[in-house]
Amino acid sequence: MLSAEKFNHFLRDVEALGRGALRGENPLTSQAEVILSAFVRHTGAAGGAVYMHRDTPAGYQLVVKSDLITAPDTFDGPVPLDVVDRSIDDSAVILCPLSAAMTPHADTLVPIRQSKEHFGLIALARHREEGVPDLELLRAASNYVGALISNQRMATEVKEGEFQLKYRLWELESLYDIGLSIASTLNLEQLSDEILIRTLSLLNTRSAALFLRRDKRFFLHRAFGEVRNEFLDDEINADQSARIAAGEVLQFDSGADCIFPGCHSLIAIPIQSERGVIGVLAAADRELREGGIGPFTQNDVRLLSQFGTQVAIALENSRLHREALSKQEMQRELEVAATIQRDILPRSLPQIPGFELATISRPARQLGGDYHAFFERDGVLSICVADVAGKSVPAAILVSAFHAAIQLLMDEGRDLGEIATELNRHIHKWSAENKFITLVLASIDREAGIVRYVNAGHNPPYLVFDGKAHALQSHGLPIGLMARSRYSVQTARFPAGALLAVYSDGISEAENPDDDEFGSERLQQMLVDHDAAPCPAIAERIAQAVEDFAAGLSQKDDQTMILVRTQA
Amino acid sequence: MTEELRVTVDRRGNGAVLYTRGYINNVGGEEIANRAYELMDDGVTTLLLNLRETKIVNSIGISILIEIIEKMMERGGKIAFCCLTPVIQKTFQIMGLAQFSTIYPDEDTAKCELPLA
Repeated sequence: MLSAEKFNHFLRDVEALGRGALRGENPLTSQAEVILSAFVRHTGAAGGAVYMHRDTPAGYQLVVKSDLITAPDTFDGPVPLDVVDRSIDDSAVILCPLSAAMTPHADTLVPIRQSKEHFGLIALARHREEGVPDLELLRAASNYVGALISNQRMATEVKEGEFQLKYRLWELESLYDIGLSIASTLNLEQLSDEILIRTLSLLNTRSAALFLRRDKRFFLHRAFGEVRNEFLDDEINADQSARIAAGEVLQFDSGADCIFPGCHSLIAIPIQSERGVIGVLAAADRELREGGIGPFTQNDVRLLSQFGTQVAIALENSRLHREALSKQEMQRELEVAATIQRDILPRSLPQIPGFELATISRPARQLGGDYHAFFERDGVLSICVADVAGKSVPAAILVSAFHAAIQLLMDEGRDLGEIATELNRHIHKWSAENKFITLVLASIDREAGIVRYVNAGHNPPYLVFDGKAHALQSHGLPIGLMARSRYSVQTARFPAGALLAVYSDGISEAENPDDDEFGSERLQQMLVDHDAAPCPAIAERIAQAVEDFAAGLSQKDDQTMILVRTQA
Repeated sequence: MTEELRVTVDRRGNGAVLYTRGYINNVGGEEIANRAYELMDDGVTTLLLNLRETKIVNSIGISILIEIIEKMMERGGKIAFCCLTPVIQKTFQIMGLAQFSTIYPDEDTAKCELPLA
């Protein structure tokens, strides 16, 4: 008959186990100490040992023993299913190899079990003079301890299961968050940090690195942890390089020593966009919960590959954003330059008594390479039409330099030939080798009825009178081509009422979809046909005719024309 | 990004503020646990972990932080966190740390509510 009082005393002794408060550095040893102490105390045994079952070939491992007892570190069973005592059933005790292996021999064996699960064995050696222990108490105590350990293990498993469940939820949430987070981070440096932080926490790794593709190589962009080489290609062999460039995952399970000096396990996934493999994300040394480093699992490969898909989108977004910003910046700069250039060109036609004027000025791009200007001095009108070789920014810079120079030189009232010669020297000295300018400089002396001009490699202007267009042919090389070019002034008759048309090749060489040019003959004919019309009307008709001729084909070159008619 | 975790302690009576800098992983978590257990053994019952300079926590680091919380709860003490990045704060909520500890936006707010005189 089990004594309730004895059992209550026993329960008080093992109370600490029920509270689950044994969480020292080695909770199992603490538990076993409490169990052994309670069993020795309540059976009056001389001492004993506690063995716990392990999933190893050794089977049962010694956890704790009394000082007076000598006991083997391990034994592999069998163990009795019920409490056995030598005085009741000597053969059952002898059947367990532990009983004879202990010194003194074990007299009582108390299994710790719950249902079919064996947790351990308590072996007790009693004083020789003592009688049979209270087997009922031992059975009750054995059942109680078995139930406690079973409950603790279940609680631990539930806790671990709950942790794993939360961890999986966190993984899913992380993948979702990563998509949102990195998609909204367009700054490449911030994005790279975010990618590494997420990689480290997602895979529990100690190191991570992001390599980005530069031509055919992958260079290190960002890393957490020491990285040995700047280029991934220097860390892996040609076959591995080819495999990762083809979109294959690389995995080293132990002794990797790759990318991160001394690392054990490593995984490297390709980051693939529509442009192919644009980078590589590497992570090394996956930490284990029980401590140390372990190999990457298939789940890790799957997680990192999913993450890599989102990283690819984010990196591409970031690249496109940078390109858009760069284009915007360039566009802003072009707009500023276009404004400057518009200020260089005349905003309105000068009002000079005795002259009727009109212009066409249509740049092909935001920044043009054509230039025109009017100058008036003592009733003499001077005009300039120039065409800088090239287009856009380089041409616009040269136009600005040309503008500054010609404004200074014309202000001095010098001879047109000297001005052209000086311009040539200046432009040749300060512009790039392949840069030159064709120009027509013309001064119309209405009183004298003459036009003085310099044509430096430019299309021949047309002087229209008596129903004919007279060409003012070029008689010099373009400005800036040869350092020592000299220009002299040519003179031609300019009868009252005559029409002078100075233009750039953007008009005469305007093309239609059939690759035909508008042509100088068509231009001459229009000038002759519309000679009687006011200059603005002629300019308008020519501009319209050129546009109609192009039939929707985009304008390839700047179009400039100055029309001057003297009034009687 | 800082790699190795560094912990500094500001002891305040029966409380203490632990400042972490770096990655809370297995190694970093153990470092925090060692410092926290030393303080608990020395009578500290209120522990504030200021994670201002920690940007990364992995699941092993989290499990160690949970152990510290459990240990402090067994002793009837209290653990709180402050200055968490949004990512770490969300992680703490999902992993259940927020159920058993208080998360404050900043250290001043935490000090107003905790006995850290």
